[in-house]
Amino acid sequence: MSAYSIGEQFVGILRQDRTGSPLQELVSQLFTEAREDVYRYLLTLGLHPPRAQEAVQEVFLRLYASLKKGEQIQNPRAWIFRVAHNHGLKIRARQHNEEPFDPALEARLSAPAETAEHVLLERERMQAFHQAVESLSEQQKRCLFLRMEGMRYPEIGAALGISPSAVGEFLRRAMVRLRKVRDE
Amino acid sequence: MSSLAQHPEGGMLLRYLDGELPGRKARQIERHLEACWQCRTEIEALQATVADCMRYRKNVLRPLLPEPPSAWRDLSRGFAEIDAQQAAPRFAPGWLKWGMAAAAAMVAVSAVVYQLGFTPSVRAASLLHKAVAAAERQPAAPHEIRIRTMGQTLLRTVDRRHGEPALPVALAARFEAAHYDVSNPLSPRSFATWREGLSGRHDEVTTVADPESPSQNCYRIETVADAGDIASATLMLRSSDFAPVESMFQFRDRDWVEFSDITGSPVRSNDSPVAVNPETPLRPAVPSRSAAAAPRPAASVTDELQVLSALHQIGADLGDQLEIKIAGDRVAVNGVAIPPARQRQIQNALAGLPRVALQFSDPSTEAALHEPQEPLPPAAAVPRAVPPDAGIQLRLEQQLGGQSELERFSSRILDLNDSAMSRVYALRSLALRFPAAGESALTAADRATLHQMARQHLAALASQVNTMQHALDPVLQAVGASTAAQHAAAPTDDWQSSAEEVFRTSRRVEVLLSDLLGVASTATPSASLPSDLFNALAELQASIDRCRNQVAR
Repeated sequence: MSAYSIGEQFVGILRQDRTGSPLQELVSQLFTEAREDVYRYLLTLGLHPPRAQEAVQEVFLRLYASLKKGEQIQNPRAWIFRVAHNHGLKIRARQHNEEPFDPALEARLSAPAETAEHVLLERERMQAFHQAVESLSEQQKRCLFLRMEGMRYPEIGAALGISPSAVGEFLRRAMVRLRKVRDE
Repeated sequence: MSSLAQHPEGGMLLRYLDGELPGRKARQIERHLEACWQCRTEIEALQATVADCMRYRKNVLRPLLPEPPSAWRDLSRGFAEIDAQQAAPRFAPGWLKWGMAAAAAMVAVSAVVYQLGFTPSVRAASLLHKAVAAAERQPAAPHEIRIRTMGQTLLRTVDRRHGEPALPVALAARFEAAHYDVSNPLSPRSFATWREGLSGRHDEVTTVADPESPSQNCYRIETVADAGDIASATLMLRSSDFAPVESMFQFRDRDWVEFSDITGSPVRSNDSPVAVNPETPLRPAVPSRSAAAAPRPAASVTDELQVLSALHQIGADLGDQLEIKIAGDRVAVNGVAIPPARQRQIQNALAGLPRVALQFSDPSTEAALHEPQEPLPPAAAVPRAVPPDAGIQLRLEQQLGGQSELERFSSRILDLNDSAMSRVYALRSLALRFPAAGESALTAADRATLHQMARQHLAALASQVNTMQHALDPVLQAVGASTAAQHAAAPTDDWQSSAEEVFRTSRRVEVLLSDLLGVASTATPSASLPSDLFNALAELQASIDRCRNQVAR
């Protein structure tokens, strides 16, 4: 079962049992499936790897605590990203005397490599694509990254504090810019 | 959109691909695409860009971002801690800063404890033991202590060579009655002695940033007492040398006092960010703040309220991406993705306020939030692949007099709902920013400012919901809505709790509306949908009324 499909089962089990181990198993399962995605999202938010990893674990424990308290969470994956986003912003705000984490993807992408031509071509394309992603506004990037993680517009809106219509608009603008990479 | 000349506008095609259009609108686009090669080509280009994004995620983000620095931990011990903490009732939230921070820290503490590998109680005892030993090794140098209570801030010097600091008599008496040796309010030994004398207690240990130098960490030991005058006490120890930097006490009657070591530091900020702060995340534009009650040395809650009020006057609390927080002697206002024209309005609105640090980021921003947008569906629950039962929409269409009438009706209702939700979010942000427990610490003028903002949001919201009801109720009744007995709302003590109720009810209305108009679905059976929405609207109006009454009190 993928993290995308886990939601319905979550709610079903919650209605039956909030106290037993099935809940722990489900949170653990979601943790296993989604933790890398959440971790990478937090890195893109500027968190340093150890903090990002710590934050991921905390977010899943919060999910467990919230569910235990009886909170109705229709889509746990969306909930996790929303909580991770907000928690990540808080952590980043506290790092005010520290540079945000820069994964230096551009340098890694441009590192010389002896590979087949088609791989190099793809790499070049991805390099250009990465530059285009980097040129997006902060909000466009956030919308795009969350959309890539399977979030729907209302869910992205809830995480970023904007309306679903605004999410649509940010995404449209992002897509226009990214499409240029393909057209160039 | 039947004519080929009328191609779908703007982001309509992306929304269509993303399944974010109401069923009716999506079907229109489908029909258009069947006829229009140009838009089909557009769709293909969009799909290709979507594919690029996913390749980027797979081939760039996944492999090139660094792996987690350590192995992932099993969460089971964290679960067990949470189970134990939820099973043990905690003190009623009273004093804003500790109450909220402690309650909020409950969950995340388990993660920290898990990492430390000890129970909180053992960890607290061990840290205190080290701190006592460290304090006794230190020479008896004088320390500047800042004392904060609900109503005042004092500075005192603690010098072990010259006896006790001159605490206010009433304060000293409180500690004496509570059997707490306050001769040195920051003494780890006093804290440890008090803690060990408790018949029942609950400890928590977290790591927080040092309020004075955030690059350094502190251990934060909080002990909640089952009995005694002091309900809870917190001691913060610098992790590098176990030196106490701050202690905080909450009494049973919700009175509180805080001691901070400000030796060599004229201003030790009060709003030390708690490293683990799992309060429910909300709209990041207006984060909740857990220390509203405590007076601040420089920028104050009054300054913050003035800023909020000025922004409220120009409607900047209804969707602009603004982060407002107290930072030292300023209220920092950070705007993200604010178009230049709107930036000028915000600058003008804040121009008369002395303690504001206004900053806009993302200069490349485009005016997405303020450009006229086509009427679009508002927030909804998880959209479903299968369109909702067409029966209800057909009945609506017949009732309203045709498809185009239903379109207009939907757009109008969804617009109204969008506006209403902006108010709901703004109201909720205020309620979270200024919880009930902290209101008593506000001045009368500050309270008035806060209540005025809340009242204005509620009045606008009531009017919007009323308009929605007028438009929707007759239609809903015509398609079978019946009035159900209203659920008796749980009584709330304060307007903040009622604001949360307004939020919950409005979300329910939003989800039901989305179902009705074909945007999304929940498990609600379509047969009961008209009644559910009809009654949810009535409940929403009732919850708004309750909140209004409480703000007016």
